[in-house]
Amino acid sequence: MDILVYIFNILIFPGFLFCFFFGLLLSGIDRKLVARMQRRIGPPVFQPFYDFFKLIGKGHIIPRGAAKKTFMLAPIIGLLGVVIISMFIPIFGYVFIPRTADMIVILYLLTVPAVALILGGSSSGSPYSGVGISREMVTMLSYELPLVIILLAVGSKVGHSLGEIGNVTFSLSKVAEYQSKNGMLICSLSMIPAAIAFLLCIPAEVGTVPFDVAEAETEICEGPLVEYSGKYLALYKLMSAIKMFIMGSLFVALFFGGTGFGTGIKFLPLNTLLMMILVIITISISVSFLRAIVARIKVEHTLKFFWTVPTALAFVSLILTYVTTL
Amino acid sequence: MNGYSSILPLMAIMLPFLAAFIIALTGNKALGLKRVLAVIFTFIPLLAVILLFKPIIENGHIVSYWLGNWVPEKTWAIGIGLEIDAFGLFCGLIITLTCFLSSIFSIRYMEKDNGLEKYYTMFMLLTASMIGFVFTGDLFNMYVMLEIMTFAAIGLTAFRNHKYKSIEAGFKYIVIGSLGSSLILLGTVLIYAQAHTLNIAQISAILHGNYNAVTIFALALMLTGYAVKAFLVPCHTWPADAHMSAPSSISMLLSGVMSKTGIFGIIRILYMIYRSKCVAAPSMEFLMIFWGTITMLIGASMAIIQTDFKRLLAFSSVSQIGYVIVGFGVGLSAKTSVAVTGTMGGLYHMLNHAMFKSLAFLCAGAVLYRTGTTDTTKLGGLAKKMPYTTVLFMISLASIAGMPPFNGFVSKWLIYQSTFEAGYWPVTIIALLVSVMTLAYFIKLAQSVFFGKIHKEHENIKEIPWSMRVPMIVLAAVCIFAGTFWNVISDKLIEPAAYAIYNIQGYIDVMFNKGYAQNMFNHEIPIPKMTRAMAGYWSPINWLLLFVVLIIGFIVIASLLSKGNKKESIIDLSDTKYDTFTGGEKEYFSHMAGNDLFWGLKHQFRGYFKTLKNAHSGIVNDYVLWVAACAAVVTIYLFAVL
Repeated sequence: MDILVYIFNILIFPGFLFCFFFGLLLSGIDRKLVARMQRRIGPPVFQPFYDFFKLIGKGHIIPRGAAKKTFMLAPIIGLLGVVIISMFIPIFGYVFIPRTADMIVILYLLTVPAVALILGGSSSGSPYSGVGISREMVTMLSYELPLVIILLAVGSKVGHSLGEIGNVTFSLSKVAEYQSKNGMLICSLSMIPAAIAFLLCIPAEVGTVPFDVAEAETEICEGPLVEYSGKYLALYKLMSAIKMFIMGSLFVALFFGGTGFGTGIKFLPLNTLLMMILVIITISISVSFLRAIVARIKVEHTLKFFWTVPTALAFVSLILTYVTTL
Repeated sequence: MNGYSSILPLMAIMLPFLAAFIIALTGNKALGLKRVLAVIFTFIPLLAVILLFKPIIENGHIVSYWLGNWVPEKTWAIGIGLEIDAFGLFCGLIITLTCFLSSIFSIRYMEKDNGLEKYYTMFMLLTASMIGFVFTGDLFNMYVMLEIMTFAAIGLTAFRNHKYKSIEAGFKYIVIGSLGSSLILLGTVLIYAQAHTLNIAQISAILHGNYNAVTIFALALMLTGYAVKAFLVPCHTWPADAHMSAPSSISMLLSGVMSKTGIFGIIRILYMIYRSKCVAAPSMEFLMIFWGTITMLIGASMAIIQTDFKRLLAFSSVSQIGYVIVGFGVGLSAKTSVAVTGTMGGLYHMLNHAMFKSLAFLCAGAVLYRTGTTDTTKLGGLAKKMPYTTVLFMISLASIAGMPPFNGFVSKWLIYQSTFEAGYWPVTIIALLVSVMTLAYFIKLAQSVFFGKIHKEHENIKEIPWSMRVPMIVLAAVCIFAGTFWNVISDKLIEPAAYAIYNIQGYIDVMFNKGYAQNMFNHEIPIPKMTRAMAGYWSPINWLLLFVVLIIGFIVIASLLSKGNKKESIIDLSDTKYDTFTGGEKEYFSHMAGNDLFWGLKHQFRGYFKTLKNAHSGIVNDYVLWVAACAAVVTIYLFAVL
């Protein structure tokens, strides 16, 4: 029975199928919003679905110089990576698998899509991919530092008040438990800088303007994706759509968690709906809004920006947490 | 103790030594015999270690053996005693396993070199001395083994002496290595002058409560000396050259295992000889954690700017040793539960580092064997020609970067958790960041060596032979096993070893008589309670889940994707649409490799990287100065706080 539940979790909810639908829907909403902000009509909300199925149906070309197996496997690995993360994020206290260190697991798993992109790009043998992966690498190093500090800030805030060993928790279910007792973390003053820093990290993680240096269509023809076509390209597009959803729901779990309609399985549909709405709001603020109003920044400025502004904000949170708990 | 298990440690040490002399005697004849001898005589110690598992790990005994039956005279040690506790056995297992695999790898790998009688002689000396080092219970014997080890390693480093680089590396190693050994010798002499004995168990009993300025000075000297062997910053300058020029089957031992002997020494000193000064002392905890953090950061930064495959791996080793030292630094914490987590993290990472770094070095060896170079700017696209090596390298990449189903994750996570619990959160942040940097420079290797475009001159290379593949596959299997079945590793190896590190009373009593330690210490020596649950490993169900997801995902997606693949075989690959896109121009060789890959990062931190690069000037005088300065700083610090 347990195994059936696991398989259900993996394949349908919150695993593959749910991610697939909601991720692509989110991406459609994002595109529509940006279009409206730029006074365009924009594509229909379901356009990403059409794109996906169209790409699946098309033929594909694997370049002569490519390492074929890696070229084909990389998008699959990336997709699996993001689908696995979805099972580690609790929906308002409803945990799919009990565990102790999911924050660090998520932190590691979040690098999997980036690594998949890098591997896929590098195996294609194209010089544009080469440039793209070097930029992807720099972007990865850039957002990882603030992300680590944000997670530590949240972990120590929660861990301290729950009296965990060493005053820290690396468990998202503990974060949800804390929030259901003490209210949302976004409401506490010390967590606001961390939340802002996280919102700034989302576009870099997802790879949208202004931090899309790695893909930069106008300069390096989508960088790592330049040689991809057909279903492999479709998988990459799906991967980045799901990644957007993952980052949104991680934000919700960290800062808006615990306040759903109630705990237990019978509240799950309502809670999921609430989470979806919150994720849409989060993504529209951090991705769509930013994308509509700013242009792409330079490669070297990406690192400089992330290691100054969001890092400083996250540090402020961490220090405030320490100060308030003394 | 019954007869056979007490003779086993002696066999594990003596037989490889014996083999070294037999191989030397055969001269330059009978190469096949030498190979067989090397494999057999590295397998016997492995077997001995496995046989010692039952008495030591399962029954919890500590095996001891007095050489020449020179038993202590009225609780005063006069002979050389071998003493193997679970920690020694743990190190012994790492050593014997890697040496055995290395000897198999050497068969084909070294076939192009001449002078192999010297190679195998020194190889056996290296093996025997490393085993002797971790099995001995005598401080001066440790030094002797260390010297044999160092000189065998120097000889092997300069083995390919037709290359200028090898001679240079050997020279650097001999100067810095000897300096380290001298510091250890001086420390040993000072301790001998104070305690009038060389038996580690007796020294730790006698020195308890009798620490004075001389013993503190000895501690500083020995710490620095072993730091040279374990290449902690700023004594990390020799491995880069040495690991690069040594044959890969040796680099693997130098980096994966010999560095562990340095750590073994540091742990024996801190946790055993200076037990009551160091354990639960915040100042020592700070020193080790600080030292480890600096080491991991500098090692990773230097690795990012390297362009040579093996040189990069060497700096990566420096960085990973930093993790181990941080783990053991936390182990000195006064909060016992945190200390246990730290010690277990350090031990686990010791094992993991030996496995994945050996694997990475063997991959470098495989590349060198087929292409004749390890310069990443001259390589590329080998994945098409060497698929096995590529897969194995990807396993070592995932392990070293700490990707969840692999072993690096478990140990690194223990270290993150313990550092945060000990209150060193900046260290946690740095450790996590260094982990990402590790991923970055390993991906750089993957991109510039295995992916991208293949060079014209490498178009006809083949996959390496099976005798070289098998050791790599074994190492990769251990990497995956230690990641997924962490509970087995933890029960059978990590917990007993961690217990043995703290179990100084048992260590002393075995050598003399029961109650001797308590008599000398005037009280029972506490051993922190440890269970696996305390280390807070995460539940295994997750691993199961991850695998289920991976397998189902692969089957589903692969079956979806495989439909279209059949058509490809009839497609003419010379069609221009199979060119890579180069902006409409004709396709030409354009591979992003080695040095160019990180310019975005290097540009931003050019000041920092330039300083580092200039500091590593390659001038031996500078490096010697660094070691001396390090000894001075450690001495001053220890005198200030202890």
